[in-house]
Amino acid sequence: MSQTNRSRNRALMDFVVLPFLFLTVALLGGLRISAESRAFIFVAPPLVTLLLAVLAMLLFVRGGLLRFHEWVRSDFPPLTNVAHIWMFVTIFFASAQAFNSVLPERGLFHWLFAFFFLWTLWNNQFSSFDARRLLRSVTILFGTAFVLKYLLLASLYSSEGGWLKRLAGTLLQGITVGTLDAPIFATVTGYIAFFTLALYVAGLILLAFAVNSESPAVTQTLVGEYRQLSAAERLAVREAILDEPRD
Amino acid sequence: MQVRIIQLVGLGFTIAFAAFIIWIYVTEPRTFKEVTTGAEVAAGTYEVNQEEFNFALSLFRREQFRAARDEWQRADPAQRDARTQFYIAYAFYREGWGRVYFDQELFKQGVEAVNRAIALSSTSPLTIDDPDLQIHSAAELKVELDQGLERTWSDVNPLKVLRTRK
Repeated sequence: MSQTNRSRNRALMDFVVLPFLFLTVALLGGLRISAESRAFIFVAPPLVTLLLAVLAMLLFVRGGLLRFHEWVRSDFPPLTNVAHIWMFVTIFFASAQAFNSVLPERGLFHWLFAFFFLWTLWNNQFSSFDARRLLRSVTILFGTAFVLKYLLLASLYSSEGGWLKRLAGTLLQGITVGTLDAPIFATVTGYIAFFTLALYVAGLILLAFAVNSESPAVTQTLVGEYRQLSAAERLAVREAILDEPRD
Repeated sequence: MQVRIIQLVGLGFTIAFAAFIIWIYVTEPRTFKEVTTGAEVAAGTYEVNQEEFNFALSLFRREQFRAARDEWQRADPAQRDARTQFYIAYAFYREGWGRVYFDQELFKQGVEAVNRAIALSSTSPLTIDDPDLQIHSAAELKVELDQGLERTWSDVNPLKVLRTRK
């Protein structure tokens, strides 16, 4: 009975909750609220966010958060494979929109943020990661970008600030000959972005839990394969494992 | 079996949600009201508010063109009704028409509105049976507006003050 419940809950998580959650991120990631008219503004993901999403997906695969080879297999029913591929698609677009929500819309800061995202994600491709560390790294990355865009930059360009703040904003604009020009959105945009990023990270955490719940099966497979080795090969494997530097 | 049902339902539900998101980003509604209007258009249940349409028509007949256009825009917020768009274009024409010169800005907006009307009635030529109008088809109205935007030597003809508004 508990096995049935487990597989049912797992199916609910994989095929309903997670895709719905990531699609909600895809919906809200490009939503801004106009400061003047309070109207919705939908910002489609710029091309650079798709590139960032590809790098993020590669990182998730490398960090073991997405196990493509275990979720899409020839021995699975076609519907299961389609549902898993669909989930990967939703994660990809959620990632693109999560980047979209923390990237400034235009100007020099847009390219600066994009460059730092690219730099960080590219560097991370060559680091050793597990799912937990990867999650921490992604949370810090988005958290920092959120603080920079919605707290620091927004307050600098805010028309409601004091004269010192407005003077600093105007000076910055003047020094950079208007290249730092950024649209001003209503405060509620920051709340929407916060909620979007929280959902995105929550989705990734749920995904990590789903991966971890599979680990006993993976361990069993590994132990089974280990037992099929000869004595000399087992010794070599043990030495290799013990030689691995501790993180 | 239950897992299979969950897979099917989940896939169907999330694909529908994804289609909704794509539709939102394509149509870019600015308010919740525009979202519901757009949904009505997509579902084929959209209808012009007849009460507001009639009120606008009465304003139009009293030569309150700007107020009439505002009312028609409220009656047809999604700009999906060919008849309403024709009347809006006609209101631009009548307001922009002058014995000495035509208001180019109003005529341009009139052309946009009549083009919308023509596009919405692509299956058959749009004609309006209204005895108060002198132009009954969208094609004629478009020609009239286009001619008003053209610059020709006949513009300097002093006899043009004798022409009449349609």
